[in-house]
Amino acid sequence: MRILKDLLRSPAGALGLGMLALTLLATLLTPLLSPYDPFALDFGNTLLPPSQAHWFGTDNFGRDIFTRVMAGAVYDLRLALICVFGPMAFGVMIGLISGFFGGRIDAALMRLTDIVWAFPFYVLVLAIVGVLGPSEANLYIAFFIVNWIGYARIVRGETLLIGRLEFIEATRVLRFGKAQIMLRHILPNAVTPALVYSMSDVVLTVQAVAALSFFGLGVQPPAPEWGLLIVESIDYMREAPWMTIAPGLAIVWIGIAFSLLGEGLSVALKPKG
Amino acid sequence: MIPKLKFRSLLMATAVAATGLTAPAASWAETLRVAMGYDPVSLDPIATSDNGSIWTQLLIYDTLIRPDKSGTGLEPGLAESWTVSEDGLTLTFKLRDAKFSDGSPVTAEDVQYSIERAGSKASGWGRFFNPITGFEIVSDHEIVMTLDKPFTPAFNNLALFAAAILPKKLLEEKGETFFDAPVGSGPFVMADWTRGASITLEKNPYYWQAGKPAVDEAVLEVVTEPSARAIKLEAGEVDVALDPPLNQLDALAAKDGITTGEVIPYRADFVLMNTTREPFGDVRVRQALNYAVDKEALVKGVLYGRGKPAASAMPVMKYADPGLAPYPYDPAKAKALLAEAGYPDGFEAELVVDSGKATSRNAAIALQAMLQQVGVRLKVQMLESGTQWQTTKAGNYDMAVSYTTSDTIDPDQIIGFVAVNPERANAYHTQWQDERLNALYAEERRTVNSPEREAMFQEMVQRLHDGAPFVFLFHPATAWAERDYVKGFEILPTSNFRLEDVTLDK
Repeated sequence: MRILKDLLRSPAGALGLGMLALTLLATLLTPLLSPYDPFALDFGNTLLPPSQAHWFGTDNFGRDIFTRVMAGAVYDLRLALICVFGPMAFGVMIGLISGFFGGRIDAALMRLTDIVWAFPFYVLVLAIVGVLGPSEANLYIAFFIVNWIGYARIVRGETLLIGRLEFIEATRVLRFGKAQIMLRHILPNAVTPALVYSMSDVVLTVQAVAALSFFGLGVQPPAPEWGLLIVESIDYMREAPWMTIAPGLAIVWIGIAFSLLGEGLSVALKPKG
Repeated sequence: MIPKLKFRSLLMATAVAATGLTAPAASWAETLRVAMGYDPVSLDPIATSDNGSIWTQLLIYDTLIRPDKSGTGLEPGLAESWTVSEDGLTLTFKLRDAKFSDGSPVTAEDVQYSIERAGSKASGWGRFFNPITGFEIVSDHEIVMTLDKPFTPAFNNLALFAAAILPKKLLEEKGETFFDAPVGSGPFVMADWTRGASITLEKNPYYWQAGKPAVDEAVLEVVTEPSARAIKLEAGEVDVALDPPLNQLDALAAKDGITTGEVIPYRADFVLMNTTREPFGDVRVRQALNYAVDKEALVKGVLYGRGKPAASAMPVMKYADPGLAPYPYDPAKAKALLAEAGYPDGFEAELVVDSGKATSRNAAIALQAMLQQVGVRLKVQMLESGTQWQTTKAGNYDMAVSYTTSDTIDPDQIIGFVAVNPERANAYHTQWQDERLNALYAEERRTVNSPEREAMFQEMVQRLHDGAPFVFLFHPATAWAERDYVKGFEILPTSNFRLEDVTLDK
């Protein structure tokens, strides 16, 4: 609760949280309020420009783009959150173990991160999805394999640092159990920078998911995932630019929201005093 | 002989600009630039079946005979004249005085060598040519081919790109490397090939049609994205754009300096159903899906009205039955048939689609929505072109969006491909089998061109229509857009194009 208060006190955090709340609200309300089905074809109303009836216009199948972009938020947010927080949980634990125990365990785990780190992000994700085949589940697998590295490294560094602080020395002297020291005393302090990093990671992941759909390796049609909306709009970009602009703006919007939230979090989570 | 264009033109332009003089027209080398969606795989005619390769080969090589521009008859190519014996067993060709692009003459020996090669085991098109068993070289300019038993398509097959006449001596000398810089007797000769980017063709100075080609050079630029081809044309970077997006055609035609053209080539689009998998083994299910698809809406929504609904997998061509009507759009009947087959609540199936083809992509999305209405839930799987093809070929699919085009004017090639099993493709990888159709196919090939042969084709197509191993979709138009100064360019019903008659009226 204190964190939330601090977060709301910072202008960036408040704005980011507000934007996200608005997005969630709109996503939840659109199916109730919009008269359109995001999947139903209507060949009588194709490629209509934005109007009062169709806020973002219609696409080549006559589907309402506003409704589709809103329905797409569910896909992109779900993908981004699972692709970030799943690997994050794993990465944090690895980092904690690595930093706490040190020695051979640390060396082995860090060499493993080096290996994954050596590949450019997209090359590795493309290779994994390419082998497994395009589907949402495989996208999760690919991101999981690649995304935990960053968190492991951050948390390891923090753990090393915190492990040398006096209050941890104190827990050792008091003969606290290893698990207790790690989970109760180091983790809460070490996880902060990882949490801040995760916000910018969400932004990158939304973009990456959209990009993979763009290559045909992500979510499959007719899902209104934003990257897919953009790839489907390519041939119509010149006569119906709204088909491209609307999902493009959605990606930018959600990117800004999470960036601001990350900014706010970094302020709110900064140790006091 | 032929000036290296770009640099020289540039120099010339600079000179003209500097002096204000008009350059004499004759010294300008004319280049025709064509944006094409395909990247040719190989220039070996017996090893290819992709459009990019075929179209390019047809600009470099000649065949003895070739489909005429209307796609309804055959016209002389390297053969000046020919006779086919009454029983169809003896084909005699008189060759014209033609030369390969290296200056050596085209002889009957080259013809024998090339046709034997096309019919050999190494050839992907062997079955089209191996019924020709005997060759007799009468003179350098006359050759007689004989068949052991009647095979009516043999003559027509000689108009296929795979029957291109190649220089025996050179090919034997160079082996496979010949095709990196091939020599043919066609209107153009390859000057440069940058894979994935462009093929530069220069005028063949020895071409047998005097005064042709009209342009000195033709560049085929590989531009895979349809919109990008249209944009390049508008920007003046190319003179002709093949296959611009159909939805942009009207807007392109309205632009100053741009003309568009379209033709419905010998092409049919459809959805394959893997009849070895449930529930597609049941003809009622297959027919139900045909009734559940609104073809008129597809033509309107996916082709923007440029095409027509299809009644079968055979393009509208010679021997096609103009009276055969497409399955009407009747969701109620579809539901009834599904219920009868034991699927009152429909079923789930996966549909694989080539992600690179806008028409297939859009058709798949429309189909998904249409079949949903009768309870059939499609999971669309967009795959990269090559993967989609391999998956389909290997039979690892439920349903797949695909199409076929005919390279010849005789429907034997197409029917053999889409309907006959066992044959080359086992009814286009649907594994559908119809004994009567197989028998008719064998019979048709023994029957000389006649109303009887026509009736056989029509019965085969009717059986294909009723057996419905495909969801028949449409016959789409193929379009092109060109700058106004391009004269004489057209896409032929066989989907390819000739460039020797094209002039640039700048």
